[in-house]
Amino acid sequence: MTEVTSSSLTGERATGAPRSNTDRFIAKDVVPRRHPGRWVAVVFLAIVSVQIAAELAVNENFHWGVFVKYLFDMQVIRGVGWTLLLTVAAMTVAVVVAVSLVIMRESDNPILRGLSWGWIWFFRGTPIYTQLLFWGLFSVLFPRLSLSIPFGPEIVGVDTKWIVTPAMAAVLGLGFNESAYLTEIFRAGFKAIDRGQTEAAQAIGMSRAKIWIRILMPQAMRTIIPPTGNETIGMLKMTSLVLAVPFTLDLMFATNAIANRTYLPVPLLMVAAFWYLSITSVLMVGQYYLERHFGKGHDSQPVNGGTA
Amino acid sequence: MHGGKASTPAVQLRGIHKFYGEVHALCGVDLNIGRGEVCVAIGPSGSGKSTLLRCINQLEVISAGRVFLNGELQGYSERDAKLHPLHPKQIARQRRLTGMVFQRFNLFPHMTALQNVIEGPVQVKRERKATARERGTAILERVGLHGLGDRYPNQLSGGQQQRVAIARALAMEPEVMLFDEPTSALDPELVGEVLDVIKDLAKSGMTMMLVTHEIGFAREVADHLIFMDKGAVVESGLPQGVLSNPEEARTRAFLSKVL
Repeated sequence: MTEVTSSSLTGERATGAPRSNTDRFIAKDVVPRRHPGRWVAVVFLAIVSVQIAAELAVNENFHWGVFVKYLFDMQVIRGVGWTLLLTVAAMTVAVVVAVSLVIMRESDNPILRGLSWGWIWFFRGTPIYTQLLFWGLFSVLFPRLSLSIPFGPEIVGVDTKWIVTPAMAAVLGLGFNESAYLTEIFRAGFKAIDRGQTEAAQAIGMSRAKIWIRILMPQAMRTIIPPTGNETIGMLKMTSLVLAVPFTLDLMFATNAIANRTYLPVPLLMVAAFWYLSITSVLMVGQYYLERHFGKGHDSQPVNGGTA
Repeated sequence: MHGGKASTPAVQLRGIHKFYGEVHALCGVDLNIGRGEVCVAIGPSGSGKSTLLRCINQLEVISAGRVFLNGELQGYSERDAKLHPLHPKQIARQRRLTGMVFQRFNLFPHMTALQNVIEGPVQVKRERKATARERGTAILERVGLHGLGDRYPNQLSGGQQQRVAIARALAMEPEVMLFDEPTSALDPELVGEVLDVIKDLAKSGMTMMLVTHEIGFAREVADHLIFMDKGAVVESGLPQGVLSNPEEARTRAFLSKVL
């Protein structure tokens, strides 16, 4: 009975999606393990969720009519657009600055290393709210940006208020602050790469810049993306702080303004939550594909019939 | 014996010293490798043989001495009896004369075998992708990896990975090949396939320096064998001489342990 013939081992594909290579094949005489505890948990959770959903749906305090009315309100949609724009622009600034800071930090030049260290020290060490207030005051503190001979005449110049607009102040404030955190994430990503990678690239005569772009960055991406995805989602919600600038077109400000007008904060908070959650979901899908792309050569399964 | 006719040796090392802090890793090493010659370095761990090899392609910056490849001073230009360090771009250019194979392969994990092989030709020599691909496929075939170009390194065995690494170095058409313990990280049954490829290369007249623990293999391929200990070349000569009739006590002591 317990005799294991070759035919029972070459066996069949287990039904359902295989979780890994190892459980793709099971012998015919192996009975899959049962998990009664899981079924109990499923039933329990189903009952609880239905109750919560029902309670929320009939609870008058949530004013679902108001929620639906303002979900696609012009002011709200414009807020979603601005929040998205701020997130993307600030993250772009942060990534560009952070990449430069990482390269500076790893450079042989002590001045560049010091600058990089100082930047991180300052922007990570002061509250984002304070920084945003400062950026808001920037055009008051420095009314004119100009290139001039010290104590001498001005060569070119422009009124600061045309350059550091509230939107620009918000993007720079959020972006510079974020760059300090991203630098540390990126640095960890590059540190995790074996030294042999750089040596192998040097041995085939690659230049410093080529090694960064072709060899180190693609490999660092794999470890950098999950925490950077985290930071992006954090940034999405951090944009609500731009009221410190003051920048008044983002999603949180828009829903707050409506709530103040209608004296109904809860449904408008639900509107904001709905949109933040939707954008986060879209970002998570994007992160999944990025991770898959840069996981090449690491996550791929051993090929069949190989000697791997 | 292959070469020896050309006047300048392919590799000349003159009084090479290397310090790691207080540690004197190389203590004034002189070595010539003629064109087409295979020089094999053996010796106990920490004797400085890998360090010496890495000085040839400037992966280690030497503390004193001179490295010449084809008669050209490496890493510096000499003016007014002073050495001026070269720009990193020029050092990168000088490294194209050598190809290196590492103990731990160091393949680029995010690229397939073929992409690993053509990375240098396309990115460094600016070869056209189609040409490089064709040549790369041929080189992979030469090291016995026909049809495996699309595999990522983690889908290949250790022996196959090391052969891809050899192909990657060969694709740059180097004049000197450097092997740093190329079989030390391999399972015993995979050592042979890599040694066979190296043997073929030696027969084809490639100038090579090889650091290895495979004494039998050293005897077979070496034109010139050196035994290193404590950062110095203790004994050097024909492999039969050094291995069968060592003059130095330290060589005898080492060989009695490994043979």
